[in-house]
Amino acid sequence: MTEERHKGGTSLTDLRKLRHQMPRWVLGLLVFGVAAVVASRITHLLMMLIAAAIIAYIFSSVICAFERLGIKRSVAVILLFVLATVFVVAADLIFIPDLKQEIMNSYTKFPEFSRQIQDALLLTAQSSAEKYPFIESSIMKLLDDVFGPSGFLERTLSASEILMQATPFIMALILVPFFVFFLLKDWPGVMKRAIDWVPPSYVETTISVIAEINILVGKYLRGLAGDCFVIGVLASVGLWLIGINYPIMLGIVSGVANIIPYLGPILGCMISSLVALMQYQSFDPVLNVVVLYLAVKLLDDLVIQPLMIGKSVHLHPMLLVITLIVGEKLFGIMGMILGVPFVTAAQKTAAILLEHRRETHKRVCAEMLVLHRLGKSPVRPI
Amino acid sequence: MVLDNKIVRKYFTWALDTTRESHLRTLSDVPLFTGIGKKLLRKLLIDLIEKKYTAGDIIFHQGESGKAVYVVLDGSVKIIKKSNSESKTLAVLGPGSHFGELSLIGQCSRFATAVAEKDSLLLIMYKSYFDDLIRGNSAISSRILLNLAEILSKYIQRDQPE
Repeated sequence: MTEERHKGGTSLTDLRKLRHQMPRWVLGLLVFGVAAVVASRITHLLMMLIAAAIIAYIFSSVICAFERLGIKRSVAVILLFVLATVFVVAADLIFIPDLKQEIMNSYTKFPEFSRQIQDALLLTAQSSAEKYPFIESSIMKLLDDVFGPSGFLERTLSASEILMQATPFIMALILVPFFVFFLLKDWPGVMKRAIDWVPPSYVETTISVIAEINILVGKYLRGLAGDCFVIGVLASVGLWLIGINYPIMLGIVSGVANIIPYLGPILGCMISSLVALMQYQSFDPVLNVVVLYLAVKLLDDLVIQPLMIGKSVHLHPMLLVITLIVGEKLFGIMGMILGVPFVTAAQKTAAILLEHRRETHKRVCAEMLVLHRLGKSPVRPI
Repeated sequence: MVLDNKIVRKYFTWALDTTRESHLRTLSDVPLFTGIGKKLLRKLLIDLIEKKYTAGDIIFHQGESGKAVYVVLDGSVKIIKKSNSESKTLAVLGPGSHFGELSLIGQCSRFATAVAEKDSLLLIMYKSYFDDLIRGNSAISSRILLNLAEILSKYIQRDQPE
């Protein structure tokens, strides 16, 4: 076999030698690179799996609460699904009618909104035509791209396009709960089998990595969910107080958008400002909305986030920006959301592995030193 | 607790986790957890990891920094202290015993090497989970510290020359 040669002329022995000569971190980076490329090719499935993993993670604490009562995990998962169904039905009866009304109102008023935006943009274009002709041409191009006969809105709102967009959404609605069920039910079994494969000398390090990531991701996700909920409620109440339409819907959008670090709050503010502009045809309420979102952001940074997420995922600002950009390029919004905990977990894992390596080296050196003193080893460890 | 209720135990056996319950009984007999309620032990049990070791496997080496406590569920584990070229067996632990408890106190190095004497099944408790459990619960943490002090004093008494 060792003499067997590939077409390029490299023997298998050469390849094996190369593998042994290659530093482990280079091999790790190569494997990570290949995994990232494969993952970016199957983003749809991956997104569903990630969403299912996040949901399963958040609800794992409920399962643990059932287990603490002495209930079997499989029964606990079924109980959770039954409770979730009851909750969804109750929410549909109690809370959803208001939200449905808001969505229906915004849907029926959409053509009017669209016309108002076009009018406002045309007015701006006309007033700036003499002094700044480039602004006029840009606005006209934007109007054509968005509102024109083959523009973005026309394409987005066509029946076939809606159907095309809805198909993955419907698939996700079916598949994500399916994945969540099995992740919740079988995850401890998978972990047990994985730990059984780990060589004894690596068990403590592996458990350290798993536990630290578990603690970190758990804190981050639970904190993030709580943070988004509080932000959503604050935005809803604030918007309702300053008299902006659709406060519940805008609050939900702001809460969900808040998941994306830095960009989320800006996105929530922009959408609410747009609604305020359309509603009042004036910039004063927009200013109120901006002040409200600034106050919420300030409260979030100073009080809510430190309380809910803490410093569990503290990253250097430069590394944070790089993480967001790379995450967005590879996996879109999901990459931006999960990039931060992923990089923090990777940092922690690297620290634990380095510590393990240092300790193993220390132990081997100590053993060699004993052998050297006894005259059984000619090499004296450094 | 659901499992402690006789009616529930009679009619809902299919829904109850009996394996975990047997682990709980083992755990409640471990000296380190003496005086700790079943409710808290159940909480602790969820984060414990089960691992099979074959005879001769080194569970941890002397001098390594300890990150976990081990409870023997099945089989036996030998604790060996090495000094220079000599090795001395300090103890052979059977089901219901625990070892590596010094890792719970700060960043202690392993005092001895633990080797699986027979094929063994161990429960592993990672230190951070334990810290999480006792954080903010002064009654529990003082109880465990007291247990630890008792265990350590027994070690010292045992190692005193006659």
